[in-house]
Amino acid sequence: MGFFTYFLRDMEQIVFPKREQNAIPSMDGALSPNDRLDGCEVIGEPIPGADDVAVGGDGALYVSAGRQVLRLSGDGYRERKLFASFEGNAGGLASHPDGRLLVCVSGRGLAAVDGTGQQAWLNQAGDQPLNCPTGVAAAPDGSIFVSNGSNRNTPEDWATDLMQKNRGGRLVACGPALDKPTVLLRDLAYPHGLAIAGDGKNLLLTESWSHKVSTAPLQGQGIGKMMAVNSNLPGYPARLAPAADGGFWLGLFALRTHLVEFVLREDDFREEMMRTIEPRHWVVPALASGGDCLEPMQFGSIKALGIQKPWAPARSYGLVARLNEDGDVVESLHSRVGGHHHGITAVRETAQGLVIVSKGSGRVLLDRSGGRQ
Amino acid sequence: MSMTTSNMISFSQRLRASYSPRLLLSELLMKQWFEPVIPFLLMIGLLVYFAIAIPGYASLDNFQSLMRLYAEFGFVALGMAFCLIAGGIDLSVGANFALCNFAALFFLLVMEWPAWLVALATLGVGMAIGAINGILIGYIKARPFLTTLVTLIILRASVNILGEKYATVFATNSVENDAWDFLGEGFVLGIPINAAVLILVLLVGHVFLSRSRYGWHLTAIGASRKAARHAGIAVERMLFATYVLSGALCAAGGIFYAARQASADSRTGVGWEFSALTAVVLGGVSLAGGKGTVWRAMIGAIIIFALTNGFVRMGIPGYITSGMIGVILLVAVGIDVKWSKNRGKAVQKMYVNPAQVPLAPAPSLQRGSGSPYAQNDRLINAEAIGLDRVEGPEDVILDRQDRLYGATRDGNVIRFSGPNFEHREVFAHIGGRPLGMQFDKDENLIVAVAGMGVYGVKPNQEVFKVTDETNRTWYKLNDDSRLRMADDLDIAPDGKIYFSDCTTRYEMTTNTLDLIEGRPNGRLVVYDPATRKTRTLISHFHFPNGICVSHDARSILIASTTLCKVYRYWLEGEKKGELEVLLDQIPGNCDNINRASDGTYWLALVGIRTPAFDLASRMPGFRLRMVKQTPIDEWLAPGLNHGCVLKFTESGEVLESFWDPTGISHSTLTSMREHKGYLYLGGLENNRIGRIKLDGADPTWTGYEAYWGNKRRDKA
Repeated sequence: MGFFTYFLRDMEQIVFPKREQNAIPSMDGALSPNDRLDGCEVIGEPIPGADDVAVGGDGALYVSAGRQVLRLSGDGYRERKLFASFEGNAGGLASHPDGRLLVCVSGRGLAAVDGTGQQAWLNQAGDQPLNCPTGVAAAPDGSIFVSNGSNRNTPEDWATDLMQKNRGGRLVACGPALDKPTVLLRDLAYPHGLAIAGDGKNLLLTESWSHKVSTAPLQGQGIGKMMAVNSNLPGYPARLAPAADGGFWLGLFALRTHLVEFVLREDDFREEMMRTIEPRHWVVPALASGGDCLEPMQFGSIKALGIQKPWAPARSYGLVARLNEDGDVVESLHSRVGGHHHGITAVRETAQGLVIVSKGSGRVLLDRSGGRQ
Repeated sequence: MSMTTSNMISFSQRLRASYSPRLLLSELLMKQWFEPVIPFLLMIGLLVYFAIAIPGYASLDNFQSLMRLYAEFGFVALGMAFCLIAGGIDLSVGANFALCNFAALFFLLVMEWPAWLVALATLGVGMAIGAINGILIGYIKARPFLTTLVTLIILRASVNILGEKYATVFATNSVENDAWDFLGEGFVLGIPINAAVLILVLLVGHVFLSRSRYGWHLTAIGASRKAARHAGIAVERMLFATYVLSGALCAAGGIFYAARQASADSRTGVGWEFSALTAVVLGGVSLAGGKGTVWRAMIGAIIIFALTNGFVRMGIPGYITSGMIGVILLVAVGIDVKWSKNRGKAVQKMYVNPAQVPLAPAPSLQRGSGSPYAQNDRLINAEAIGLDRVEGPEDVILDRQDRLYGATRDGNVIRFSGPNFEHREVFAHIGGRPLGMQFDKDENLIVAVAGMGVYGVKPNQEVFKVTDETNRTWYKLNDDSRLRMADDLDIAPDGKIYFSDCTTRYEMTTNTLDLIEGRPNGRLVVYDPATRKTRTLISHFHFPNGICVSHDARSILIASTTLCKVYRYWLEGEKKGELEVLLDQIPGNCDNINRASDGTYWLALVGIRTPAFDLASRMPGFRLRMVKQTPIDEWLAPGLNHGCVLKFTESGEVLESFWDPTGISHSTLTSMREHKGYLYLGGLENNRIGRIKLDGADPTWTGYEAYWGNKRRDKA
């Protein structure tokens, strides 16, 4: 990029301050940091690659992890058994009203698994394969909604998708038998999580790269007009789930940092970085950090007198937030820099409390207070 | 000094690394004398323009006559400048000037006094009027603007009345007086007498304002009257004196004018108060007070004078000239406000000037790869000494009695003694930020102190200064004679202390900016105790850090933190005075170097090179925008949260490495010191000193013996 490009960009920032780059909101008020995620009960042994969680009609938990879906049941969900396994990594999960489990499988598409283990598949929508399914939700009438994060990358390569600044996500709807797929929305910035709101009448959708949660009224196998609920979150939203008293729970898998937002503006650096450096050493948000001395570091992260400052710029972070219907954050649970439970990809209210999936640490957490203080 | 780390890279890179217009501009902007640069260029431009546009303008004759015409206005403008600098204003200068003109003529033609008495008496009149202003403003605390406006009206009316009454007398009387004629038409060394006096007054005024106590008081009052009062300055008396001075300067103008024109025309000095105000503000004397020099006032006055005079000669009507001067005043006042408010910010925005850093490729750190750099966990379980009782021991050293010293961030040298180092005491409080340490032959602890220089502590704990300045580089704008950030040092057998001054552009608190900038801002300096002289050996070194005199004492090893290399500088032999690269591809940012017992060396890596930071090092534009657009805590840094110590040989071969790869016990590891079979570890930001047992190391070897005792290798 030449001088002129930078000049134009500076001018654009002055003339159109609201275009694209919104300032990262500060973490205050209901988003004030705490250590509640680190204090949560861990369900059993670590589950490496744990990604999403769904509650079955039988009250058991289904957790996707790697190429498997595990079924967790009993008090504190301590009993664990294999429910299904696939050829690709399992991601987003949802229970269908008719009892089947809907599973997003990376590189394959959407699978519907019934109690006997029988699988039905949706692999294609419109003219494109469903190779980056990220989130799925089923409406009370049986209609199924599934988000395809990107048209260029699979979910494993989300960091590449962010650095490519892709806007190639789609929202697809189909009938209960995975039939008649229709593409409802295109050009989304990595749609990541879908949920049916508590009233059963609205669909909620997160878009990670535009740090946004939107909603639209359900109209059978279609939706009405999309409206933003919160379009400037301090992190990258992953999946969401309705909360019992209205509003919804949202897992944010990483925080936005000034450095990453800056690198997203620096095309030369970013392209060179993607070309010459391994993805795990990029300047990108991460689900977990600190274990590799080749990871990029920021000046605020220097340990002082042996202590990692919790307010250091966060390469990885744990954040769960509860938002009300207006999109305002009313409650949040954190695992700060130096904490253990980073990279929250899913959160779900269950009979035994709030279940949180920390993909960064490969742990499923249970907050028996239901996340309320 | 021809020898620099940049010699190793290509010419164009070197050029970009050493010179940058932004860097020059940012350093220029920090200079006081650079402030009036715009009016100065305007003045030169105007004079050149008129020299081209008006025939005969550039001749000596013309300049002599211009000087004679100008000098009186110069006096008046100077009076105005003093009042502005003191935070006031004197609108009565024009009228005072006119009255003094009348008074001089009156004393000469009516009273028929001799020339010297006329001059003295006229000065008295001017000073008396100034004193009236001074009493009202200084003691009665009237507002300067209104007070002097009133004085202006009264004086102007008086001049008109008196002028009318005596016009005929002045026109008819004439006096033969050579001294008086000399004041009107004489020359001193080819300069018109009035201009010569003005130059003399300017010189005295400059010394008065910038070098004398009263000048500083005056400026202080202008900057903040309240603060000046709290500082014990006699504000009333100083203000009174300022207006008297202004009156005297007007009177001086009046005398010369009278001698030259011999006319008490009622239009004498009309509007001069505004011309003078415009001139002075245009020159860069702040309307808000507290800022300005006599030269700035003169630059402004010359611009206004040249404009008025030049336009008249070009046949442009007077009202257009007045209008133009009004517009200039408006613009000057606007710029004055914006400039003084934003200059500091502009410098801040421009001071950091990243350059391309010529890094070598980094070797692999893969665990178990068999490479000497392969990561391991040999430092994680290092024994902790003084845990949480020592704050950031950048360097550690042991004395002959096995006592352990750490240079900490609170300006102390902490000493641990006892069999398990359980006894802690503050050995010496030096202040600054003590960094590198070494014992000299007499067991004095010599310490490099960031922000102060090189200091020593005697065994009886008495602190003494070794040196705090070196020779200044004549062509540098930033004064680099002071030692900004002495980092590490070592002592040669002849007692010479070699030390690194890691940056000349930043301080201890901002030295991360130097890492971001990546320019050769540091230097290698030597102090010779025999001559007590300090001399820069190598200027333009990329962040020199660790210094170690080689085992044979024929060369010194210098670590470059930003370039991730170790250099050798030859002290003697055929390569004497030459710098060469000893270790090229180091995987991290080098810090201290120290001798090992087996004739090799230890090297601490304060940071590990990360691919992302290396990429940024190749892209100065990226770093520049990063510095501007993101807060400092968010800047990309080298991987500083890891600990690594390397061991290398005299020939530059790396033998092995000791790691704490994620900085569990030893992050920002900056130093290590071998002593009786153990390796002691210090860290810039750590809360402990570490110790590991070395297998097969000489259990009797100590640093002191290796430098001054029976373990020396230089006199084999």
